[in-house]
Amino acid sequence: MRTIFHLDLDTFFVSVERIIDPSLNGKPVIVGGDPKEGRGVVAACSYEAREYGLHSAMPIKQAYRLCPNGLYIHGHHDEYGRYSKAVKSILEKYAPMMEQASIDEFYMDFTGTKHIYGSMYDFAKSLQKEIWDQLQLPCSIGIGGHKTIAKICSDYAKPNGVTFVMPGMEKEFLAPLPVETIPGVGKVTLEQMHNKGFYKIGDIAAMPQDYFAVAFGKYGIDIWEKANGKGKQYLNPPQERKSISKERTFSKDIVNQKVIEAKLFELTGKVCQILRDRNWQTTTISIKLRYSDFITLTRAKTIPATDDDKEVFETALNLFRKAYTRRVGIRLIGVHLTNFSEFSEQEALFEDEKLTRKKMFRAVNKIRDKFGYSSIGFLPEGKS
Amino acid sequence: MEFKVNSKEFERLLTKIIPAVPSRTPMQILENFLIEIKDGQLTVFATDLEISLKSSLNIVADSNASFVVPAKLLYDVVRSLGETTLNIKVEEKGKLQLTTDSGEYSLSYLDSSDFPEIPSFPGDTVDQEDLKEISINGEELNTAFLYTSFAMSKEEMRPAMMGTLFEFIEEGLRFVATDGHRLVNMLNTNIKHEITEQYIIPERAISVLHKVLDEKDVKIYLSKSHVSFVLSDIELITRLIGQRYPDYKTVIPMENEFLLHVKTKDLHNAVKRMMLFSTSNTRRVKFSIDGDNLEISAEDLDIGASGKESIHCTYEGDPLTIGFNSAYVNDILSHIRAEEIILKLHSPTKAVIVEPKDNKDNLDLMMLLMPVRLNN
Repeated sequence: MRTIFHLDLDTFFVSVERIIDPSLNGKPVIVGGDPKEGRGVVAACSYEAREYGLHSAMPIKQAYRLCPNGLYIHGHHDEYGRYSKAVKSILEKYAPMMEQASIDEFYMDFTGTKHIYGSMYDFAKSLQKEIWDQLQLPCSIGIGGHKTIAKICSDYAKPNGVTFVMPGMEKEFLAPLPVETIPGVGKVTLEQMHNKGFYKIGDIAAMPQDYFAVAFGKYGIDIWEKANGKGKQYLNPPQERKSISKERTFSKDIVNQKVIEAKLFELTGKVCQILRDRNWQTTTISIKLRYSDFITLTRAKTIPATDDDKEVFETALNLFRKAYTRRVGIRLIGVHLTNFSEFSEQEALFEDEKLTRKKMFRAVNKIRDKFGYSSIGFLPEGKS
Repeated sequence: MEFKVNSKEFERLLTKIIPAVPSRTPMQILENFLIEIKDGQLTVFATDLEISLKSSLNIVADSNASFVVPAKLLYDVVRSLGETTLNIKVEEKGKLQLTTDSGEYSLSYLDSSDFPEIPSFPGDTVDQEDLKEISINGEELNTAFLYTSFAMSKEEMRPAMMGTLFEFIEEGLRFVATDGHRLVNMLNTNIKHEITEQYIIPERAISVLHKVLDEKDVKIYLSKSHVSFVLSDIELITRLIGQRYPDYKTVIPMENEFLLHVKTKDLHNAVKRMMLFSTSNTRRVKFSIDGDNLEISAEDLDIGASGKESIHCTYEGDPLTIGFNSAYVNDILSHIRAEEIILKLHSPTKAVIVEPKDNKDNLDLMMLLMPVRLNN
């Protein structure tokens, strides 16, 4: 049996905002869109706000109706990343293996460390204390034999608690909890569950697996297994993924598609410059798109290995045009390259257009290395 | 009408023709054989509109007929029969009745007028102007294909490269094949002629010819649009690729002064092992040459694997590190058929000449390989 920790930072965005502005303490705080403009959703809300029935991902307009006296703030998103990194570096001191599941969630595998850290429960408490002492961030920790139970435990422990389920007691622990506790059971599934009379996890566990396979398909088997205390024992291997990325947050939200695409072109030029300087080629190109309401999309595509601005830009542009479907302003755009191979370019016997362009980019690189990125640029076709 | 044929002889005939039947085609009629019976001769045709094959057999028949039958079905039936006498009856209402001692089989046939016209050659359907004629030994042609055909391009971007160039020059006949990354150039000085043109024969014709050629002479008729290869028992007509062949002479380097002598087998075995370690999308291997040591190495960043090997060579030149696509190196080494080879090099980005140390009589073989650039 393994020992998996799931650490979840309580109302993370709100906690960070309270560090920046302590006057927010004890008040209903909502991070997300602007309720006056009526756009966007709740990105995070404090426990005080939850008492009004608010929850994350709720449309901001609805939140405002429920809690008109709440403190609505746009949020300091760059700070969140900084604090998340700080938490990670504390955990890294102790955890032999870690998987960061999101900006405020960490799985750690502490199997076999009892002789070093002592009682796992007390150790979790000390971790919690260290994070609070150093960063003033509250967190909850769940400990169990696999990832699913650890996650359910950390949820159960909120706010600021520790829950430890003894190995072998998973089923008993889960039985009285409501079905929506199971990670992955959303609104739609929950309604279906209720319609069929399943309210507690124990109700699910008591049914034969075949029933769930028939009633909910493959997804049903997954839920049934989780309800019976089973789950994934191993963390996803630490991904030491090399990547090159550039992002730009606009000073005000941009609606003009031309402006966004021009920025995308500039960012592509910059990442390709780095790519060529490292003597690499990329095969996977991703774009990141954040709307003004913080809804963020990433889209990726794999192409044959290249370091050619044109190929990378065309791929990124296609991804962007497919992804940009809402009539909402764009706050951030980014380009991200991964899956590299060492530079390797087949020379050709007979010159063609592609080869000529490659030579041109090689020259452009040299000029930019020497005189800076903006020393040379491209004119739109047809202009000279 | 009705006629008899020995099943084995009929099978041999169909085996020769079936390569021209396309396996996937929007024109369903091409999936058939055209069979003609005329004056005691049975002739089978097939075409994919690029190449067509034709072969005949003498039979005893009381009248003439022509019809179109599903190629694969007829071939499979005849092949499965074993040696027997096959009685074939062309009935009206589109039925072909096959009878043996023990069985009766019925196939549908179509009217031969639906089948596309097969160019007859030399004859009246092909432009007779500038018609050239030459006879070449089948073995000589086959040898040329063995050395050159692997280098033809499979990409439709440049149609001219999707065939082999037959360049008739004063010294003999030159065969050239390239895909833009490697090139094979083979001159056969044994072939005497009085032609001064050049022709690009499509890849499909070459691969079919390669299967049917034997040691007998082949009569070749060349027009501006088509070529006909007449073997003793089969005739292949192909469309020519009507494009300009790339100017291969200008890319043959003159200045490659660094000479590397190496045993083909040693190099080939090492390259085959390094192919296991090269990144799957680039297949890059690195040759580092210094003195009499040739180090071959490869690595795969993605899975974190790498390998290197040293082999003995004789080298006159400056130390050099050069990259290649290992699949191309493997192709060249598999086809060069020489115990020892010479690599003529100049720089990491310039074409490399690969030649057998000793050229065979009347054969002048040279291969060119473009390296892969190791850094930008």
